[in-house]
Amino acid sequence: MTIVDKSINEVSSKGSKRGGWPKRATHLVPGGLRWILPGFILSVGLIYYSIIYSGYLSFFEWGGGRGAMTPVGFDNYAQAFTDPTFWTALRNTFVYFFAVFGVQVAGGVLFAAALHSKIYLSNLYKVIIVIPVVVAPATMAQAHIQVWQTDGVLNTILSSLGFESLVQSWIGQSSTSLLVITLVGCWGAVGFGFILFYAAMAQIDPEMLEAARMDGAGNLLILWSVVLPSLRPVTVSLAILNFITALRLFDNVWLITQGGPAGSSEFLGTIIYSETAGTQRNLGYAAALSMILLVIAVSTAVAIQLRGREKVLSVKGQRKRQAKRAQKEETNV
Amino acid sequence: MFDIRSYRQQIILQITVTIAVIPFLIPIYAMVSRSLDGRGWGNYLAVLEVPGFARFFLNSAIIAGASILIVYFATLMAAFGFSKLRVRNKEVLFWMMMAALTLPEVVLIAPLYTTAVQLGMLGTFWSVILPIAALQIPFAVLLTRGYVDGIPDALFEAARLDGANTWRMFWSILVPMAKPMAVAIVVLILIFAWNAYLLPKVFLINDDMGVVTLLPEFFKRQYNDDTPKVLAAAVITAIPTVVAYIALQRHFERGLAGGAIK
Repeated sequence: MTIVDKSINEVSSKGSKRGGWPKRATHLVPGGLRWILPGFILSVGLIYYSIIYSGYLSFFEWGGGRGAMTPVGFDNYAQAFTDPTFWTALRNTFVYFFAVFGVQVAGGVLFAAALHSKIYLSNLYKVIIVIPVVVAPATMAQAHIQVWQTDGVLNTILSSLGFESLVQSWIGQSSTSLLVITLVGCWGAVGFGFILFYAAMAQIDPEMLEAARMDGAGNLLILWSVVLPSLRPVTVSLAILNFITALRLFDNVWLITQGGPAGSSEFLGTIIYSETAGTQRNLGYAAALSMILLVIAVSTAVAIQLRGREKVLSVKGQRKRQAKRAQKEETNV
Repeated sequence: MFDIRSYRQQIILQITVTIAVIPFLIPIYAMVSRSLDGRGWGNYLAVLEVPGFARFFLNSAIIAGASILIVYFATLMAAFGFSKLRVRNKEVLFWMMMAALTLPEVVLIAPLYTTAVQLGMLGTFWSVILPIAALQIPFAVLLTRGYVDGIPDALFEAARLDGANTWRMFWSILVPMAKPMAVAIVVLILIFAWNAYLLPKVFLINDDMGVVTLLPEFFKRQYNDDTPKVLAAAVITAIPTVVAYIALQRHFERGLAGGAIK
């Protein structure tokens, strides 16, 4: 999360410079531990407790309730890695992530750029794009079913446009169920990308755009080489947020396809739910899957973060070098 | 952002954007038009007359309200402590909290379900409110700490010289000054709590404790898949968040964009 990370860095550097009180008065500053504790105990306590407990549970087989907990060692993990449904879910997670992230960035940037231009009704467009972000996915799922079902809106549109051959049971066949879930995900995600890009674009110095325009750059060139580079931190945060969303995806999948047909649109979230609260459950297996999910989430977040920062640094270095060169040339002249 | 120089370009841009937003309207159109099938607005009346319908809204309001209260106070206090007070190993504690930011809530349900069963908390509102608050506090603290850092220390020093204690500083300086950030956080938590589906589905097992996101399923059971009524219920559920968004647009966007706007 670059937004997050950036502000963490800012916060901690401020902590040493501006935040806090002048050195000489340190002993006069009142202690603050008890101010931090309520939030700290609730969030850190509950979350870390859950993770540790999950790790413990993952070594047992347990149907919940009064059933006995049988220690099984690493069997739950072994079961996960040999279960084809687990691998399907993992593959679906990655497909979903790349598709939704791509559409979100492209759609978000284009809408943000268009609505920052001279355009009428921009507020109406904005509301239309952002409504999918604020309405509960669990509520909208009913509407998406109306669109994608066999006698639904999409098939009606297709046949009225003459594409009879494309009319099909989108939700009910394993070849298209993941496509439906992914497109529904895009529907809800573009608005979020739009909000972040719209806010970030407002920070771009208009003089920079003006300068590029004076040099004869067209709209698309400016968007590509002036605007996009400055959106990089936001894009990195979106990548991480999207990845976590894909890992925990549950609402849409459960309500639209139930992970089916034949497990073709299964995600980790739906498997963990079924193993926690379904009829044939094994809480130990759910816990093991949770641990695997957690490892994937944290390591991917760190990886994206490091890669993203590297690029930002190298861009900065390049700019510095360019500035130096320009200075030299000036002195030579 | 795009430089528009002629009427032609203006019209092209306008038409392109209009076409581009159509896919966003299709599900909403499908939902509203289908909900009017058969008895028209009568479907909405029928839904509103179902006994216990208001209960779903009340339950969601209880959960959202309690989560907001807890997160609001826990966050402001923690941001005050982290930013303006003396705490040993401050940054270590801060990072421990921030590490929870990447955590998906689905990871919590197996251990929390087990714990809730053991403590007899299954089917109480606390079993949903506490996880929601725990998951939202780290992000809220991150945003608010950054904001509180921007409030000059001199204000607090002056208050101290005038004899104010820490409580007084919190209530009379920090709470009023952090208001803009607090509004954004309240809106953010409201949407998160109102839209929560997985946690209530797992923990609120009694029928009279359903929340708005569980309404469509409730109506499916109640009416044996009477689609127009199920959709009418969905439309009614969606209205509060849409109205809240339109009314608080700017705060909401600030909350979502978080640290990106500086």
